[in-house]
Amino acid sequence: MSSATDGASDDTGPLARWARTAIHNPRRVYRALFYVAMAFFMVTTVFPFYWLLVLAVTPQGNLLSGSFLPTVDLFGVRGTFPLPVPKGFNPTAFVTVFEQVPFHLYVLNSFVLAATTTVIVLVVASLAGYVFGRIEFPGRALLMLGILAISYFPPAAFVIPLFQAFAGNAPITIPFIGVPLFTPPRLLNTPGSMVMPFSALFLPLSIFILTTFYGQIPDGLEDAARVEGTTRLGALFRVIVPLSAPGVATAGVLTFISVYNEYFFSSIMATSPEASKWSPIVGGILSYQTQYTTQYNLMAAASVVGVIPVVILVIIAQERIVSGLTAGALKE
Amino acid sequence: MSADTTSKPARESRQSGPVVGFLRWLENLSDTQYAYLLLTPVFVLLGIVAIYPLLRTFELSLYAVSTDLSSVRFVGLDNYVALFTGEKNRFLPGGTTFLPTGLDAANLLDSALVITLVFAVGSVLFETLIGLGQALVLDQDFYGRRWVRAAIIIPWAVPIVIQGMMFFLMFDSNVGFATPILADLGVVAPTNTLNDTVSATFIIIVADIWKTSAFMALLILAGLQSINRSLYDVARVAGASKWQQFRYITLPLILPTIGVAVLFRSVQAMRVYGIIDTVSSCTVVPSLSCMVVSTFNTHEGTSAAIAFVTAAIIGVVVMGIILWQGEDAI
Repeated sequence: MSSATDGASDDTGPLARWARTAIHNPRRVYRALFYVAMAFFMVTTVFPFYWLLVLAVTPQGNLLSGSFLPTVDLFGVRGTFPLPVPKGFNPTAFVTVFEQVPFHLYVLNSFVLAATTTVIVLVVASLAGYVFGRIEFPGRALLMLGILAISYFPPAAFVIPLFQAFAGNAPITIPFIGVPLFTPPRLLNTPGSMVMPFSALFLPLSIFILTTFYGQIPDGLEDAARVEGTTRLGALFRVIVPLSAPGVATAGVLTFISVYNEYFFSSIMATSPEASKWSPIVGGILSYQTQYTTQYNLMAAASVVGVIPVVILVIIAQERIVSGLTAGALKE
Repeated sequence: MSADTTSKPARESRQSGPVVGFLRWLENLSDTQYAYLLLTPVFVLLGIVAIYPLLRTFELSLYAVSTDLSSVRFVGLDNYVALFTGEKNRFLPGGTTFLPTGLDAANLLDSALVITLVFAVGSVLFETLIGLGQALVLDQDFYGRRWVRAAIIIPWAVPIVIQGMMFFLMFDSNVGFATPILADLGVVAPTNTLNDTVSATFIIIVADIWKTSAFMALLILAGLQSINRSLYDVARVAGASKWQQFRYITLPLILPTIGVAVLFRSVQAMRVYGIIDTVSSCTVVPSLSCMVVSTFNTHEGTSAAIAFVTAAIIGVVVMGIILWQGEDAI
């Protein structure tokens, strides 16, 4: 720093001074680059949420008049401020959003569907994770490969027969043989038509996460429990599962968030987007987009309300999500 | 589980009843029998919701339903042939096609196959670059790292429908503030932005990058953190600059991780549907999943054929992953 002040050129500004020291000390450049990159990522990540808030608090009457980008007059230089700001302030949209459409019921439906799926997935994946992680048996590698392959197929490849089956109009027949088995009950617009595809869709990830965790428990602990007289299933649910609590929590959080976020089956299996017909949050938000097409503040407010639960979940369960995504996906 | 406990006869027990009987029967199963018994729920669930629908989709794709829905007849692979020759294009919504009808931009982007590939390549490419940047930031030690990481992960957890609303509201013709800015730069169409195929595709790719870069970042971060730190000490002693350390140590060591992550993400990107449905519409940005959903009530055979082609394309990519990764894939 001192070299800059006693140097020949006293007319240089702070930027030039910084640049001169930076040339001698490249670490400062890397540090600056790091802060620029971090600020960029933070701004781009947070900005869409900020935009939703801006829209949500703008009063209904001001939505269509003028621009969200205010013109600023700075020392005679007129320019457009590059960040949108609210046109007025009226937070009642956050109340209206529950009155116009029973939005809380849609969120509740999403919670019920996500919780049910999570329980089913955790039980089934625990059994499978125990088998793959702790038992050597013929066909193990092949079965894991099969489950992995199924998890890669697109939901579009399953949706036509599932929709027909859940409509309950025709009996299910064995493909290519044509033997009718049974006529399923009508499941469209019920939790069944969504929980079943969700469970199958998100089961493989949980199986791979739990296989990793269960496989790490030392054999001795399970043997000790068995010598003490625990049954085989008892050893799984009283020894292995409690010892792998972080793994179970990881699989649970990831499944819950995935179901809450799901779009494809949520929009197709709930044929009428009504909260009383088990339509989840997808139906709630789309009903604002399709029925109240000019009430943009309500669309934004509904989105803000809908996103709050997952934001809280991410902040609380950050470590679990990080370990689960990396362990699960890299294993897959 | 040791083998001798399972080969021993059941423990003596004076209790009886169905539960005890079942538990005793369980104790006497061999390891293999026990393994397959515990896997039964997986087989049942995946059998009903995945394997049956997959086979049934293939079966449906071999039949044609008459226009009055009264009769169904076996047509073999005719649906596939008609799909690839363009005869089925009249059943697809709007002016969309399956294969492109010409090689100019408009025709290319009306094609479901092309638009799905454009979306997959575009989004995965930028997600990888931005994810790498995010991972390099998160790999540093700094105050507040936990909060920055949470902020970067949150988009990944945002429901697709809300992600769609965010970008819909940014580019809507009435309230979208971003349209004039980007239209001045010539990136999107100034009017009717969300009904313009090129603009809408661009916006959807950006929306996907916003949501999914974090996922890439976490995978790459795991790769970064598995690098032996002493390699950097050696490099520093040898006088390597930061860039050289990145170029000759970091990059070669995380390249396999990036490869797996890219393939994994590409497979997921080919499924794109929800973001298109909320931001724009399936007639403007016709992805393969879009085509399946918009035709399955009216033209079952066509829809099933598209679904099976989608599955087949993804199947080829998956085979690539498995062959490349070998046993490590599991």
